[in-house]
Amino acid sequence: MNKISAILSVFALLVLSSCHDSPEYDNDIYGNFDALWDIVDSRYCFFGEKDIDWKEIGERYRSQITPETDQIELFFICAAMLDELRDGHVNLTSRFNTSYYRKWWSDYPQDFDERTLEEYYLKFDWLTTSGIVYKQLPGEIAYMRYPSFSYPVGETSLDYILAILHKSRGLIIDIRDNGGGALTNIKTLVGRFIDRKITGGYIKHKTGPGHNEFSDPYPIEYEPADPGRIKWDGPIVLLTNRSCFSAANDFTSVMKTLPNVTVVGAKTGGGGGLPFSSELPIGWGVRFSACPLLNPAGECTENGVDPSPGCEVHCTPEELAAGTDKILDFAIGMLKDKPLPGGEEEEK
Amino acid sequence: MHRFQFLLLLFLTVLTATAQETRQSRPVTGVYSLEIGRRSLLATYLSPLRYTGTDVAISGQWSKAMPFSPEKWIMHFDASADFATMLNPAETARMVGLNAAFAWGMSRRYRLPYGIQATAGAAVGFDGGAYYLLRNGNNPVQAMANVSLALRVSAARPVTIGHLPVLLRDEVSLPSASVFFCPEYGETYYEIYLGNRKGLAHAGWWGNNFRISNLLSATLDFGRTAMTVGYRFSAHTQWANKLNTKIFTHSFVIGVVPGGIGLRKKRTILPSETIYSVY
Repeated sequence: MNKISAILSVFALLVLSSCHDSPEYDNDIYGNFDALWDIVDSRYCFFGEKDIDWKEIGERYRSQITPETDQIELFFICAAMLDELRDGHVNLTSRFNTSYYRKWWSDYPQDFDERTLEEYYLKFDWLTTSGIVYKQLPGEIAYMRYPSFSYPVGETSLDYILAILHKSRGLIIDIRDNGGGALTNIKTLVGRFIDRKITGGYIKHKTGPGHNEFSDPYPIEYEPADPGRIKWDGPIVLLTNRSCFSAANDFTSVMKTLPNVTVVGAKTGGGGGLPFSSELPIGWGVRFSACPLLNPAGECTENGVDPSPGCEVHCTPEELAAGTDKILDFAIGMLKDKPLPGGEEEEK
Repeated sequence: MHRFQFLLLLFLTVLTATAQETRQSRPVTGVYSLEIGRRSLLATYLSPLRYTGTDVAISGQWSKAMPFSPEKWIMHFDASADFATMLNPAETARMVGLNAAFAWGMSRRYRLPYGIQATAGAAVGFDGGAYYLLRNGNNPVQAMANVSLALRVSAARPVTIGHLPVLLRDEVSLPSASVFFCPEYGETYYEIYLGNRKGLAHAGWWGNNFRISNLLSATLDFGRTAMTVGYRFSAHTQWANKLNTKIFTHSFVIGVVPGGIGLRKKRTILPSETIYSVY
């Protein structure tokens, strides 16, 4: 009998050891606040880079809620707490609102106006495919604008774009106001501008709830496009502004490492962390940066990517309203004296 | 994977074997079931909240007495597929799950007093699938994959209701050693896609991958066919990479057994020549 009891005890112990408790939260004001604080505390990835004292922040905002706090008041208290992360990838989503930290771009000049570009430079006449607007500007300068990494980039579309633009002195890639999208589109694009495999950056992830529990950086490698695809090996000027975020930020980080690329404009807006999603008992969703993306030097890109040295350019709203895009003009100025590919100029 | 294919081939070969069957019949007993029930799921990779909802499964269980010792050894093959749709407590988000499972094994049969039959054996199995939380962005899926060696025991006793023979049976499957997949705590599938496979495969045992499935059933043998009704409880708790997964399912089971299970036939038609695997 003792033997049976011992066997049963061991069995029970083994079984119970697989049952790990996870925190459970009441669906009330405090339960939802605590759930949000815990989710961010255990999964957010930039506490160290931003020197954020999350415990102090949590205590400060928790003191603002009372048993009488209603849902809407709670939402705005929680949203204000999340704003302390200073991260455009952080949102709290309810049925009546989605919170969003805007200061990563609203506190900076826009340096871009789409109407100015379309009216004074593209003359309301351009080609477009895969979400990419493109045209050869006067002076044999190729221009393509990719406004969002949410547009899937087709390989065949890229073939057409680069074939149509190939007799150009240089290529301007304009990603100003590009708020990001799918990282896989970066690979498709970068593959057209490299002739060998490169390490364009690194990704890390959290391995546990501690603020400093991270995996080793894992390289993100970029392969050249398949043989037979049309590539571009001439000079490239990448135009950026503060509203380049997330995948656009990462694209800038990768492209900046290529020897034939110059980044012109303003520092990008950051967003160098892949966001995860979670939720609160009340049903609200929460999104936050979870996996840091690093540049090839292993540096965090959350705070943005600077333009190439000597290439920081801004343009005022007045200049833009008057039809002058100084960032684009700067890029055109850099390329206008470059030779045409294949020495075609000499032949003329 | 090659081993699984080999075992499946062996099973199919035995199914079609005709040797010795001129003197001794060992029919394949197939149980085809529909299972409808309630599932609760906690998968902290996806959400800290427990989701609950409906689970629907179809399953097949095939078994046969072995030729070398038909009274003592039974071979069985199980396959199932299930679909679950669940909501979070506030009913603002939906999760769906799709899983499939296969198992092959052998059991030793024991004839006990009072007409009780017990079996004990083992099975190798594979199950896999995914739970998809529609609201999530870069962490929308928890993929499940598990290769296991399971203990399997059952007890059965025939009774009669009026003149209808009924087999009461309880069967427990307890995967005990396994290899299973689990992403790291905050790892995206994008990083896995990039090639980082570190820390994804885990050696499992009861302490980190406890699973149990219990089917309590009554099979009504009408002779040429039988019907089974029952209740299945299955539990799966997994703890790896500081991620917690708990899945509990309660299901009502209804199934059909073409050819019956032999309770009625044993007495009336082929008492000595036919050896059934179920009882």
